[in-house]
Amino acid sequence: MNKKPKILIVDDRPENLVALETVLRDLDVELIKANSGNEALKATLYHDFALALLDVQMPEMDGYELAGILREEEKTSRLPFIFISAVYTDNPNIFKGYERGAFSFITKPFQPEILINKVKFFIKIHQQELALSRLNEDLKNTNTNLILMNKELESFSYSVSHDLRAPLRAVHGYAKMLSEDYSKQLDGEANRLINNIMSNGKKMGQLIDDLLEFSRVGRKELNKTNVSMHQMVTNFWDELKNECDYRNIEFEIKELHSVKSDSVAIKQVWVNLILNAVKYTKFKAPAVIEIGSEVVNDEIVFYVKDNGAGFDMRYADKLFGVFQRLHSDDEFEGTGVGLAIVKRIVSRHGGRVWAESRLNEGATFYFSLPKI
Amino acid sequence: MIDEIEILIVEDNASDAEMTIRALKKNGLTNKILHLKDGAEALEFIFAVGNYAGREIENKPKVILLDLKMPKVTGTEVLRAIKSDERTRKIPVVILTSSKEDPDIQECYDLGVNSYVVKPVEFDEFQKAIFDLGLYWMIVNQPPH
Repeated sequence: MNKKPKILIVDDRPENLVALETVLRDLDVELIKANSGNEALKATLYHDFALALLDVQMPEMDGYELAGILREEEKTSRLPFIFISAVYTDNPNIFKGYERGAFSFITKPFQPEILINKVKFFIKIHQQELALSRLNEDLKNTNTNLILMNKELESFSYSVSHDLRAPLRAVHGYAKMLSEDYSKQLDGEANRLINNIMSNGKKMGQLIDDLLEFSRVGRKELNKTNVSMHQMVTNFWDELKNECDYRNIEFEIKELHSVKSDSVAIKQVWVNLILNAVKYTKFKAPAVIEIGSEVVNDEIVFYVKDNGAGFDMRYADKLFGVFQRLHSDDEFEGTGVGLAIVKRIVSRHGGRVWAESRLNEGATFYFSLPKI
Repeated sequence: MIDEIEILIVEDNASDAEMTIRALKKNGLTNKILHLKDGAEALEFIFAVGNYAGREIENKPKVILLDLKMPKVTGTEVLRAIKSDERTRKIPVVILTSSKEDPDIQECYDLGVNSYVVKPVEFDEFQKAIFDLGLYWMIVNQPPH
C-alpha cells in the first residue's frame, strides 16, 4: 500500500495545468490532469484521489459545480478540494456541500510555497484517514470473526453436551440394567467391572457438565450490583452445614466487604472455594475454615483459609488451570474445573486469584476484586 | 388398542427409548405406551392421518414425551403443530432433551410446552426423572374434561 497519493488537477487551460505540475513536481505524488469538469468526473472513475485542485472559472462546468457533483458521489464524497480562483471575491457559498469535506482556496497568482503547503497538508490528512479506515476495517473484521467464533463455540458446546451425553447415558444405563437384571448370576469380579463402567460413565457426565459450565462462565454477560458478601457467604454456609453435620467443622466468617459484582457469578466463586475447603479438610477433625477480606490499595482481597490437605507450592501455577489437579481422584474426588471457573469469573471482574499453602498444613485461597 | 395409548414416546434414539420405557414399567406405570421413532410419524399419530388414519383423534394420550433432536421433523416442530391446533393443544407435552445448553428451551416455552426435562446421564437419576414425570402426568395431574 505504498502507492503514491493521486492528485486530480482540473483546469481548462493547458498552460495552467503545466504550471501546477511544475509547482508540485517535487512532491511524492502522482498527478492526473483533466481539462474540463466532464473529464475530471471520468478520471474519478478510474482513480482514487487524495485531493483535487479545481480551477474555478471553467466553461460549461465550473469548479464549484464540479465539486458539488463530486460530493454527491459516494466514491468522492469525502475528497478534499483546493479551489484555484483568479478572483478573490468569489463567494465560496456557491459551492454547496462544503460541510461534508475539507476544502481550501487559493487565488491566482499564488505563491508556490503556499500551494505546496496546502497540498502537503491535505495529503497528510488523507493518508491518516486511509490508515484510520484500514485500522477500522481490521477491527471490523476481527469483530466479525469474534462473533462468528463465539457462535461456533456456542453450537459446539451444545453439540458436546447433547451428543456426548446421549451415548454416555446409554453406556451407564445398560451397565445399570445389566447389574439390575443379572447381578445374581454374575460373580463378584463381574459385578465390580460393571460398577467401574457405571462410575466412569458418571464421572464423564460430570466432566462434560463442568466443562460446559466453564465455557458458559466465559460467555455470560455480567450484571453487576452491590453484593453483600457477608450475606452471601452466611446464607451459603447455612445451606451447606446441614449436609456436613456428620463432620466437625469450625466455620468462621470474619468481616467481608461488600463489592459491586455479578451476584450469580460471585456466588459461584464462593461456592467453589468453600466446597473445596470442605472437601480438602475431610481428614481433619476439627476442620477449621476461615473466611475474610481486607482492603489492599485499590483492591478488596477475599480469602478462604483451611487447615486441610494443602498442596505443594511448586505446583501452584497449575491450580487454576482447566482439568488440572494436584490430588488423585481416590483421595479427593473432582474434575479439576472448579478453580478454573473461579479464575475465569474473577478475571472477568478485573480481579486476580492466587493461593498459598504448605503440604498437609492447609491452604489459603485469595481472590481480589477492584474497589469501586 | 391404538386408541388407548396413554403415554406417547417420540424418540429417535433406540437406547433412550428403551431406558425410558423400562423406567416407566419398572415403576409400575404399565399404562399403554407407544414408542414412535420420529416426528413425522408422531404427527401422523397425533392428528390421525396417514398410517393412523383410522384412529380417533379425540382419544388423546395423557402425556407426550417428546425428544427435541430428531431427523426430519424435530421435536419443536411437533410441539408447534400440537399446540397450535385446537383439537390437540391441551395434550400435556414434556420435552426430554440431552442438554440444558439447548437453544430451543425458550422457544419450547413460547410454544406452550408443559414441561422441559434434561435427561440425566446417570441411570438412577434418569429412571427417577422419568418415573416422577410418569407419576405426575398419569396420576397426580388432573386433565381438563
